[in-house]
Amino acid sequence: MTRPRTRGADEIMRDVARKQVSRRGLMKGAAAAGLVLPTAGTPLSAIRSAAAAQDEPLGSALIGELEGPIVLVDAPRPENLKQAPMLDPLVEDGTLPPVEERVPLEPLVVQPVEGIGTYGGVLRRGFTGPGDDENGNRYNSGDKLIFWDYTGTEFRPALAKSWEFSDEDRVFTIHLREGHKWSDGEPFTADDFVFWYEDLYLNPDIVPVPSGTFAINGQQGRVEKVDDLTVSFVFEEPYPLFLTILGGTTFMGSGQMTSRGFHGGAYAPAHYLRQFLPKYTAQAELDQMATEENVEDWIALLRLKSQWYLNPDLPILGPWRCVSPINTPNWTMERNPFYYEVDPEGNQLPYLDGIQMTLAENLEVLNLRAIAGEYDLQERHTDIAKLPVFLENMEQGDYSVHLDPGSYGSDATLQVNHSYDGDPEVAQWLHNADFRRALSMGIDRDQLNETFWLGVGSPGSVAPDPSVPQSPGEEWRTMWATRDVEQANQLLDEIGLTEKDGDGFRVRSDGNGRLRLEIFAISGAFVPFPRIAQAIAQQWQEIGIQLDVSELERNLGMTRMRNNEHQLFMWANDGSELIYAFPRHALPVDPAEAMMGPLIATWFVTNGEEGMEPTEQAMLDAIDLYRSAGGQTTEEANATAQEIWKIIVDNVFSIGTVGVSPAVMGIRIVKNTMGNIPARQVNMQHARTPQSSHPATFFFRNGGGS
Amino acid sequence: MQRQDLDAPAPAPRIGTVSPTPHSLEPEETSGPTAPFVTAPGALAPGPAPGEPILTTEAEERVAVATQWQLMWRRFRKHRLAMLGAITVILFYAIVVLAEFLAYANPEASDANRGLIAPQGIQWLHDGQFLPHIYALVGERDPQTFKRVYTVDPTQIVPVTFFATGFDWKLFGIIPTNRHLIGVEGGNPEETLFLLGTDLEGRDMWSRVMYATRTSLTIGLIAVVVSLVLGVILGGISGFYGGFADTVIQRLIEILRSIPTIPLWMGLAAAMPKTWSITQVYFTITIIISLIGWTELARVVRGRFLSLREEDFVTAADLVGARQSRIIFVHMVPLFLSHIIAATTLALPAMIISETALSFLGLGLRPPAISWGVLLQQAQNVQTVALSPWLLLPALPVILVILAFNFLGDGLRDAADPYS
Repeated sequence: MTRPRTRGADEIMRDVARKQVSRRGLMKGAAAAGLVLPTAGTPLSAIRSAAAAQDEPLGSALIGELEGPIVLVDAPRPENLKQAPMLDPLVEDGTLPPVEERVPLEPLVVQPVEGIGTYGGVLRRGFTGPGDDENGNRYNSGDKLIFWDYTGTEFRPALAKSWEFSDEDRVFTIHLREGHKWSDGEPFTADDFVFWYEDLYLNPDIVPVPSGTFAINGQQGRVEKVDDLTVSFVFEEPYPLFLTILGGTTFMGSGQMTSRGFHGGAYAPAHYLRQFLPKYTAQAELDQMATEENVEDWIALLRLKSQWYLNPDLPILGPWRCVSPINTPNWTMERNPFYYEVDPEGNQLPYLDGIQMTLAENLEVLNLRAIAGEYDLQERHTDIAKLPVFLENMEQGDYSVHLDPGSYGSDATLQVNHSYDGDPEVAQWLHNADFRRALSMGIDRDQLNETFWLGVGSPGSVAPDPSVPQSPGEEWRTMWATRDVEQANQLLDEIGLTEKDGDGFRVRSDGNGRLRLEIFAISGAFVPFPRIAQAIAQQWQEIGIQLDVSELERNLGMTRMRNNEHQLFMWANDGSELIYAFPRHALPVDPAEAMMGPLIATWFVTNGEEGMEPTEQAMLDAIDLYRSAGGQTTEEANATAQEIWKIIVDNVFSIGTVGVSPAVMGIRIVKNTMGNIPARQVNMQHARTPQSSHPATFFFRNGGGS
Repeated sequence: MQRQDLDAPAPAPRIGTVSPTPHSLEPEETSGPTAPFVTAPGALAPGPAPGEPILTTEAEERVAVATQWQLMWRRFRKHRLAMLGAITVILFYAIVVLAEFLAYANPEASDANRGLIAPQGIQWLHDGQFLPHIYALVGERDPQTFKRVYTVDPTQIVPVTFFATGFDWKLFGIIPTNRHLIGVEGGNPEETLFLLGTDLEGRDMWSRVMYATRTSLTIGLIAVVVSLVLGVILGGISGFYGGFADTVIQRLIEILRSIPTIPLWMGLAAAMPKTWSITQVYFTITIIISLIGWTELARVVRGRFLSLREEDFVTAADLVGARQSRIIFVHMVPLFLSHIIAATTLALPAMIISETALSFLGLGLRPPAISWGVLLQQAQNVQTVALSPWLLLPALPVILVILAFNFLGDGLRDAADPYS
């Protein structure tokens, strides 16, 4: 394999040009997303006629055209504002101010995908328990500072109506909306940012480790209030990538509701949270409150009170606030009467009165309820293996099925622990590129695709779909990622693993018997990881590698992963299509979750003071490139991302299997009564699927009756 | 229970006897205890013409001189359900011994292109002639329903042959061979023959069920033996000697019985060395469980000892100077042999069920091990019920073998205790 050469300026320009056509590229990607089945053998006449009845490739009927609501940037506030009928009595009896006072003077005007909706109705969905908060966070991601358009490629205003860089990209300034209010009616101003920065972020008791996303070259940024509606993020060095950071699901950019009580999001409701800080309230009183809430101390209390799905009193900015918390069988939400989005006719959003999440004891129950038509909209936890059953029951359940292929490379990635040190012999091989290449070539991805993805996935490496701007290109999807047992065996022989035992398995070079690799596979996840791992173990017999599959419950698996106990860990590499916003599944740089090497991530964020330096030069190169992107513009950074991907793929830092598929959050079951539902939506971490479709515009065509 | 239902009313004719003659013993004369000698009404042909008393006498003679084992066998034979159970159990254990021979495909051989094939029947006749055969299948994923659809190609006939060659295996683990009960002519059975269909990965269910039978039926055997031995010895000591030994053993039993098994099982499964194969781990756990499982039998044995040691014949044996071991094993143990046999035959299905149940819950055996529980565990989802119900078939042998063991145990208990 030739090393990727340095890219010239003209190439980068070409990439820029390509980025502009990225929307069309994305649509093409839909067709290219592996939805053409290889015909097995010679089809018989009966089968041929069945196929002839439908000229389009497999699945095309279920993958619609990418569409979504359009944010009308700089549109003025419509003249006649209207509100949901459920709010009328509250305004009449004076509980709520009139709608003109609740909606900001410059609201976010959104043109729904289909048309103006009608108010009313409660959306019914399923969730799997207190750990499933993302199920609701994603519907409430309207509280991000900066968001994306429905293609997930261009920035759109959200809480911030506009933004600009100044002082050679050292200062990033956002402008808030005049008259914007929290869900309890208090104004949302620059003071909420200052409070977040000074009282939460800078307090090491509350945020023990400063975020790497709020720093450039290890130097932390600052928050400065310019006026009530203007906030600046000030850095020591140019940090043009900060815009992407705010757009991504990062500590800084996730928004308040998605920060999960970790106090990210760059702003916080000062008027409410002050009461839980020792600075504003006597310690004795705080201890008293903590005891009443049955938590350890005021820090735990603050954390509890900062989680919207546990604390219905928390003021929020998203479309729905919590009524019944997530640790109950019915997690319910109702509209935020102060939400800042309106449609072009002046109807304050959301259209839906609320969301009701019903606890499903396990995924089978959840899927069964979806099949029975008990959910109005469910794209989370729906199982691709049940697609034929979903389709069979469409009429009976009065729903339709949409497939939304993701853009990342692999739904079941074998993440290699590059800081594994439990067994020096195993570590030595895991940290050997040729060994990993051989492992990768020992996998028959077509078999996996047909068995576990019903043939709709795209077999390949970990590289993202070629349609996304950071993709290194089509050919990197297949590098080291097609089955070649002969070459794999040859590579393993060449690196010195020539000896085999009686059963044909390669033995350790230190003479301690068979070389056994272990993979952690979480059960009950979106994709059947243990079963896929077992199939790979079977395939690796042909290259003489023994793979033991350890099936683990999610919390246990994650804990052991953070303790650096894993050799291989199977997980989706979701989010890696926008590498800077969500790097954890592509490079070991985020200590929050570093399956690719927890100790390397620690080494990275502590600037080498703690943790473990990568042993491979290629890994150091990739991390250097990643670090250098902070000072680059979006276009330059995308070009750098392509270089990073080339290193990742060529060195097989992790082993991809099948991806660019709808398997994770892409099997969308939509009740036929729902309106403003896009035929296809992007399935991306940073687009907070389905937030890119603005759930606030979803409505019931029949006025809310289910 | 079955005994009362099936046992004949007293006046029924005896084995091989004609209608009662002056020479023959009337059943009433040996009332009660003779019940075992009595057959069900109409079970045997009515006696031949009178006038052959010698025959009767010979039959009488056979009964009179029969050993206890013969008596047990005679009585057992008349328990039809028990006989049926015994035959079923023997057949199942024949599968255990000959799993590879009865399977025709490597149970691990997978291919996505033959996933989820429905069970396929063998056609026995072709053009009026005896020619067992199957039709070739052509499979493809339906672009609209996303199901894998298999079409029979009636023009392509694949003859099924007996004692055909297939994958290599070793008879009794020693003699290498590649013969299998059935196979196909001129082809690889793994790719053509699917008697019970295939699973998601395209592995042949028939062959997997054969292997699963072996695992599920053997894994509990040792455990049952261990708990049997421990139960009899410790229960015997406790009941026969009483006093301090009794107190210690009884308290030990109480402590052991208070340990919940499923958490113990989970803990042990996590504590086993990683390098052990999953079957080794499970085997070890069943033995550990059996170290706890002897308590019930020990209590029963102790109770019997307590009541028997007060009997006159025990005192008599003691007085004539019989050794304790002789008193225990010659005079006492045979009296509650029925309990031991019943406990054993009923413990085996309990062990099989617990393997199946724990594997079904994901706590027992796990893939790549193949057992009934593992097969059922992989079938516990909506799409199996809706699209591939044949994956639930491994439930059938579980039910069959558990019933068979229970009938067998019941019959054995009755037969072993002819005087009860």
